Amino acid sequence: MKNSSRTSSLIQHFKREWQIYLLLAPLVIWFLLFLYKPMYGLQIAFKDFSLFKGVDASPWVGLEHFRTLFDSDMFIRAIKNTFIISFLNLLIGFPTPIILALMFNEIAQGKFRKSLQTIVYLPHFISLVIIAGIVINIFSPSTGVVNLLLQKLGFEPIYFLTQPEWFRPIFIGSGIWQEAGFQSIVYLAAIAGVSPSLYESAVVDGASRWQMMWKITLPCILPTIIIMLIIRIGNLLEVGFELIILLYQPSTFQTADVINTFIYRQGLVGNQYDVAAAAGLFNAVVAFVLVMAANTISRRLTRTSLW
Amino acid sequence: MSQVVLEKIVKRYAEVDVVHGIDLTVDSKEFVVLVGPSGCGKSTTLRMIAGLEEISDGTLSIGDRVVNDVAPKDRDVAMVFQNYALYPHLNVAENIAFGLRIRKVDKAEITRSVNEVAEILGLTNYLERKPADLSGGQRQRVAMGRAIVRHPEVFLFDEPLSNLDAQLRTQMRAEIKRLHSRLGVTSIYVTHDQVEAMTLADRIVVMSAGRIEQIGTPMELFMNPVNRFVAGFIGSPPMNQVKATIADGADGSVARISDTVSIPLSRAEGLAAANGQSVIVGIRPEDVLLEASGGEPSVPLDVNLIEPLGSEALIHASVGGEPFVIKTPTHGDISHLNDIKQFHVDVSRVKIFDEKSGSALYQADKAVG
Ligand SMILES: Nc1ncnc2c1ncn2[C@@H]1O[C@H](COP(=O)(O)OP(=O)(O)OP(=O)(O)O)[C@@H](O)[C@H]1O
Ligand SMILES: [Mg+2]
Repeated sequence: MKNSSRTSSLIQHFKREWQIYLLLAPLVIWFLLFLYKPMYGLQIAFKDFSLFKGVDASPWVGLEHFRTLFDSDMFIRAIKNTFIISFLNLLIGFPTPIILALMFNEIAQGKFRKSLQTIVYLPHFISLVIIAGIVINIFSPSTGVVNLLLQKLGFEPIYFLTQPEWFRPIFIGSGIWQEAGFQSIVYLAAIAGVSPSLYESAVVDGASRWQMMWKITLPCILPTIIIMLIIRIGNLLEVGFELIILLYQPSTFQTADVINTFIYRQGLVGNQYDVAAAAGLFNAVVAFVLVMAANTISRRLTRTSLW
Repeated sequence: MSQVVLEKIVKRYAEVDVVHGIDLTVDSKEFVVLVGPSGCGKSTTLRMIAGLEEISDGTLSIGDRVVNDVAPKDRDVAMVFQNYALYPHLNVAENIAFGLRIRKVDKAEITRSVNEVAEILGLTNYLERKPADLSGGQRQRVAMGRAIVRHPEVFLFDEPLSNLDAQLRTQMRAEIKRLHSRLGVTSIYVTHDQVEAMTLADRIVVMSAGRIEQIGTPMELFMNPVNRFVAGFIGSPPMNQVKATIADGADGSVARISDTVSIPLSRAEGLAAANGQSVIVGIRPEDVLLEASGGEPSVPLDVNLIEPLGSEALIHASVGGEPFVIKTPTHGDISHLNDIKQFHVDVSRVKIFDEKSGSALYQADKAVG
């Protein structure tokens, strides 16, 4: 009795709100098709996968591939590199757009500020391949701007992109150059949402611009910063491996090879799909744990959370 | 010591003047209220005093200093904003302490001042709360506390009560008045609510379109409005304004409303009037007699609607086709009000305005000055 009335009210609900579900449908279908359906294939991480037998018919091997992975120095190195690069990226790359936004906010609205903003947004719209091309050009040993400058100053030219110790600074730097400006838009929007009377009140109270930035702007956009941080931590292991693939070479693998580039080489180049799937699964589980932890900690500490 | 003097203050936005040379002296410890319709430049004037807007022209002095080019923080004023401007990330105590912290006041002194102010405003139990967890009235109090705690020379209020409901507004109004008499700080208060203006002000400044129409005590403005604008703005419901023509009567000049109805002018008014001049007769809704007590001129009317307010009722009527409102005591019974066919005018309370200029024919203060 109760059940049927609930069913009928559900039908009523769909009749009334069907347009909303229609709008939702494409996204749900996309998720099912491209994110959930492939999950079926994840089982090959636990199987001795053979292209000819197919996913279902391949025999189970349990944690065999994981054992292989963790016995491999290359995989351990990839994990280490992933964490080092992500951590540095977070440490330097995360605050940069916030600082940029605060700086823009101090410049009076006008032509100068608009041009400046356009200049820092621009790299975001350039294809990664071109970004990589530009980076390779700039650091080229014979014609690169940096080396020409070094030579002018009397130093020996350095072939930056072949030297492991230079890879991380160059990679992280070019990532920031490309995205920091665009990421600052979120913070600029948050700053624009702060009520002007807060600043006026502070002005009457005698606050300097510096004090207003620290005591009003930053605390008021803190919720936005935290949300962005949670998202960022969730994607911590997605270290923009496309750019790594475009910039690294065997001589820099030592500092440049990350889990995703490792998976790419194992799976697509080495045809070891099952091992690559195991590495991918490991990556996903770690990312999941990270985002859960970040969200929980943030909810406890600041009452701000994604969900 | 903390007088505020505005001399020919002008505010210009890109060639458009929005405040046209205001002259105003606010005495030490005085409570002055700026009223006027929306967009007349009240906030702009207040913000120029605070230093949040640049003064385009004229001289502003606070105390005995000219402060045109003095930074807001050095003017020793505190401002209470309409939306309270509380810092959402700070609790009540920190919000109140903000101005003192900025000024690097000693920690113990801050705690002492905050507690004292919280005591005055009844916020002692809320000091740990964030603004989001307070009611509208409590937020308002915190905003006041932030101003009080600094012991400024001048308080500036920009419509501080307009976000509150009617009951709370009445209550906070009384509280502001009590605070002012306790602290005795020069205060300038902006509102568009004339009841607030009447109840709070030592003197009211009525503004319209960037100009001052009249400055005076609430009763002066009520009894002797210098023009039709002030007459229509002060008093609720506003003064009725009926067209008339000046003519010779049996005993001096009269304002003739219709062939049968004439209002005799006072001697002073008679001297200022010219025969045939078009004028407006201003009659307050409460200055109307329904029963003649002897000799008052009577005016015929058609009753349209009765609005009972309890002890009083508003009669919405028309006189010669023009709307006319009467406020009358009900003595608990409104049934007879529909049958009213005429009213009597207490001629001693009538104001006469020139129709063209809108100025009162006879202005008591002008006659003296
Ligand atoms: N930045 C500006 N540029 C041009 N005109 C402005 C600007 N700021 C305000 N004004 C104009 O100045 C006039 C006075 O504004 P003000 O805010 O002082 O009005 P107000 O009397 O406080 O009205 P309200 O009761 O609605 O708050 C308005 O006509 C407004 O349009
Ligand atoms: Mg205003």
